[in-house]
Amino acid sequence: MSSVNQDKQPKKDTKFRGWLRTIDSLKVMKWVVYLFFFLFLVLPLVSVFLVSFTGQPVNLLGSLVNPDIMATNIERLSNASFEHYSLLLGGTYFSALQNSLALAIGVSILVILMCIPLAYAFARTTMPYKKTLAALCTIPLIVPTFISAAGFIIMFGRTGWVNTMYQSLGFDGVLIDAYSMTSIVLIQVFFFFPFALWPMVAAFKIADISLEEASNNMGAKNWSTMVFITFPLAIPGIISAALLIFTVSFSDFGTPIILAPDGLNLIVVEAYREISGFFNWAGASILTIVMVAVAAIFFWLQRYVTKNMDYGTLSGKPKGTKLNDSKIVTRSLLVFTILVLVLPMSAIFSVLLQSFATTWGTGLLPRGFTMDHYATVFTRSGDNILNSILLAGGALIISVIVATLVSYFVVRENTSKLDFMSSIPLIVPGIALGIAYIQTFNTAPLQLTGTAFLLIVAYAVRRMPYMIRSTMGTMMAIKSDIEEAAVNLGASKLVAIITVVGPLMLPGIAAGSILVFVTVIKETSITVLMAPSDWAPMSLMVFQNLLRGEVYTASAMAMLIIVLVIILQTAANKITKNSLY
Amino acid sequence: MGSVQVKNLVKKYDKAIALKGVDLDIKEGEFYALLGPSGCGKTTTMRCIAGFETPTSGEILIGDKVVNNVPANRRNCGMVFQSYALFPHYNVFENVAYSLTIRDLYSGSLGQRIKTFGRLMSKRLGKPTKEIEKKVQDALDYVELGHLADRGVNELSGGQQQRVALARALVMEPSVLLMDEPLSNLDKKLRNTMRTTIRKIQQDLKITTIFVTHDQEEAMSMADHVAVMRDGEIVQMATPTELYSNPKDPFVADFVGSSNIYKGQVLKKNEKGNTVVKITDEIVLESETHTDKSEVEVLVRPEGIEIIREASTPKTENVVEAKVKVSTYLGPTIRYDIELDGMDVMVEEEFQPNTALYKEGDIIKVHLPSERVLLI
Ligand SMILES: Nc1ncnc2c1ncn2[C@@H]1O[C@H](COP(=O)(O)OP(=O)(O)OP(=O)(O)O)[C@@H](O)[C@H]1O
Ligand SMILES: [Mg+2]
Repeated sequence: MSSVNQDKQPKKDTKFRGWLRTIDSLKVMKWVVYLFFFLFLVLPLVSVFLVSFTGQPVNLLGSLVNPDIMATNIERLSNASFEHYSLLLGGTYFSALQNSLALAIGVSILVILMCIPLAYAFARTTMPYKKTLAALCTIPLIVPTFISAAGFIIMFGRTGWVNTMYQSLGFDGVLIDAYSMTSIVLIQVFFFFPFALWPMVAAFKIADISLEEASNNMGAKNWSTMVFITFPLAIPGIISAALLIFTVSFSDFGTPIILAPDGLNLIVVEAYREISGFFNWAGASILTIVMVAVAAIFFWLQRYVTKNMDYGTLSGKPKGTKLNDSKIVTRSLLVFTILVLVLPMSAIFSVLLQSFATTWGTGLLPRGFTMDHYATVFTRSGDNILNSILLAGGALIISVIVATLVSYFVVRENTSKLDFMSSIPLIVPGIALGIAYIQTFNTAPLQLTGTAFLLIVAYAVRRMPYMIRSTMGTMMAIKSDIEEAAVNLGASKLVAIITVVGPLMLPGIAAGSILVFVTVIKETSITVLMAPSDWAPMSLMVFQNLLRGEVYTASAMAMLIIVLVIILQTAANKITKNSLY
Repeated sequence: MGSVQVKNLVKKYDKAIALKGVDLDIKEGEFYALLGPSGCGKTTTMRCIAGFETPTSGEILIGDKVVNNVPANRRNCGMVFQSYALFPHYNVFENVAYSLTIRDLYSGSLGQRIKTFGRLMSKRLGKPTKEIEKKVQDALDYVELGHLADRGVNELSGGQQQRVALARALVMEPSVLLMDEPLSNLDKKLRNTMRTTIRKIQQDLKITTIFVTHDQEEAMSMADHVAVMRDGEIVQMATPTELYSNPKDPFVADFVGSSNIYKGQVLKKNEKGNTVVKITDEIVLESETHTDKSEVEVLVRPEGIEIIREASTPKTENVVEAKVKVSTYLGPTIRYDIELDGMDVMVEEEFQPNTALYKEGDIIKVHLPSERVLLI
């Protein structure tokens, strides 16, 4: 028996190898990438779409392998109707959509109003401490919104220090209720404004300086030039920023899930409850479709505006901008900027204080200070820290591999289909992606719901566009002849990519990876929806502790996340700035 | 080592036909130059041979084997790119060692392969084998860069980078060496030294070499054979001397050197067996070329024309009077732009210290020897 085997094996081996040699390893990789996007992006979205009509689970993969399942599916599909969509016309879904739209529109408008003076200050004046303020203005972006929400509770909760102060001034009740639409709006405005600020600064900088000079030459006053020339020229940039804020606000999960009061229906919270509370397939899928549709429309609008904008602004490079150095203007803008920063900074500072507090009741300050919570975090929740790192690491590996290959195929082989597919996650809010995954991978043949693997894939897919943006840039900078040289010297295309293209892409990959790692650690919606309990990451821990009222350890853990994020983000910026070659 | 044959090679792109049936026959050990103006398809031909482009039709043979279906990485063609295409993340040594390391990666036990892979990813992950070390060092010594093995490739001059690229291609002992305008990024002086270096290496190693260039001087001075291309076709294939003295058509004649080309009518054969052609009513020349055509192009190289001075023996045929328009001193030679019965003609004469230069307006006599008057 064994001798026969020994005789046969080498033969088989060479045959197999001969066969292996005939296939192009790179083509195989391309199919693997396609399969990845098909399985983990197209399939879940299509499934959810179908479920929204059938109201019952649709197992597309199962249909392919099992005729019985196929039969059930066909029957369910034949009963498909718009019936479930009628839910949207009235009742809770309708009010949820209404509220979410109102929230997103309100937040966008407020952010733009707030950012106009800020952007002007950064782009067109000699406001003092510009650098420091610019750095401070990016901090709100670093903080995950559920942590900002925690900070708000510390400030505006019933015993919060701001409300305490307010009462000690002789007022009754509370200044702002932490659990209200107002506080959700405030958090989103003050923590999302940097998303709009920097594009608007760019728009203000770019607006045609020569036109302004002409206007001034003709005797117009500075302020009228500002109102009639500068501002209108920056309008496309401003609209684009507003649309971006709309999408961010609309899909934000961290703030509403913590702060939305019982009476306030928001679409993300509603969808979350439907899927994780009631297992309502029909409802969850309809809300998912609505969320994706709204995000897609606004995403498309934003692209459209930006695209048209580029034509107008490419006309010429502004030569040395003349900055406004009027004392009154710069001083008042300085005050305004500082005022804008007060709220987010105090929220973060409150979390910091609480993480060191023994207890913090109704007083303005904690009773005493201790390191205990950090000790608790490290002893009791060491696993969560490890989980976060492992999950983020896993997501990172997947996204590095996929993003590198996608960039390669898009840049070198003009595979625009992949380019399009890999940008789809931009329009899928986290909670929507989570619902689609849970519903799709619920049963055999690919039963993955509740596994860490699916969570990792979800993280990777969600952040793929950012990774790809980063790798695509460096890929374009690598001339194809370097790769051809490697092939010419004997390397197969795949080996050439791994040994030559890969290392040259390292700066892009490194920067992209850190960003992916950071966002995964901050990620709330997918985590809360999909994390299995034995794989709970830090963000889930903070979230659960907040709900359970273990606010001190939640704060300590939150601070840990913030510090980690700041360190990693700085590293990423360093890498992108002085790329290796 | 191997011969290269290209048979009826056609390459079509979506919007353009780059090659319209190219034939090449390159013997083992030959230095072959592809010469032609920009866009004529030189690079495309070379990329087809290297395997980077799939021909639309036609056959490519390397060493008698059809390689159309052999992927680029198994054709064993060493290529020197115009931009050198050195790997910026490797130092000089690692660049040159790449092909040998890759060869190790595809052979040996799994453990060894993993080690080799590590070495490719970072030099900290393993040392090159003794054999590779020796071969690379030899190759580097050969191009006189032995002392720079540890340098980063971005810390080298253009000429040094060029030689690294050459060593990198040579170390894999390719059956064919392909060079696409390898000298175009160098300054004139360096170009001349590199020409000699490349030619010497090619002669030493007896390696079949295809050299793409649009510089006729480069092609003529280095190659055993030159193929002149135009619009995706090969116009003429010949040795440099033959190409120069016997161009097939005016395009080739003009491309391989400056020349005076005029239209002429064949009148008859004279008693010496020479063909008599009429260019203008005043200028009727004898030529040793035989032709069946009645309308021909008459080609005379500038240095084929003699200026007759008092001392020289009197000539009878093909002597005409001309007027000097411009005289240009070119160092070793002097160029006169003269006018022959309304035609502009260029004449080049070796500079001799004790003869006087003609000035503008001088009337001179020139002799166009019948063996230098070519009819095409
Ligand atoms: N990828 C391509 N797609 C379409 N047309 C191409 C492509 N590559 C080359 N061509 C066309 O094929 C023709 C031959 O190009 P090729 O690069 O071989 O010229 P070349 O002789 O090397 O010129 P040069 O001396 O400028 O390098 C050109 O007309 C060019 O426009
Ligand atoms: Mg070329």
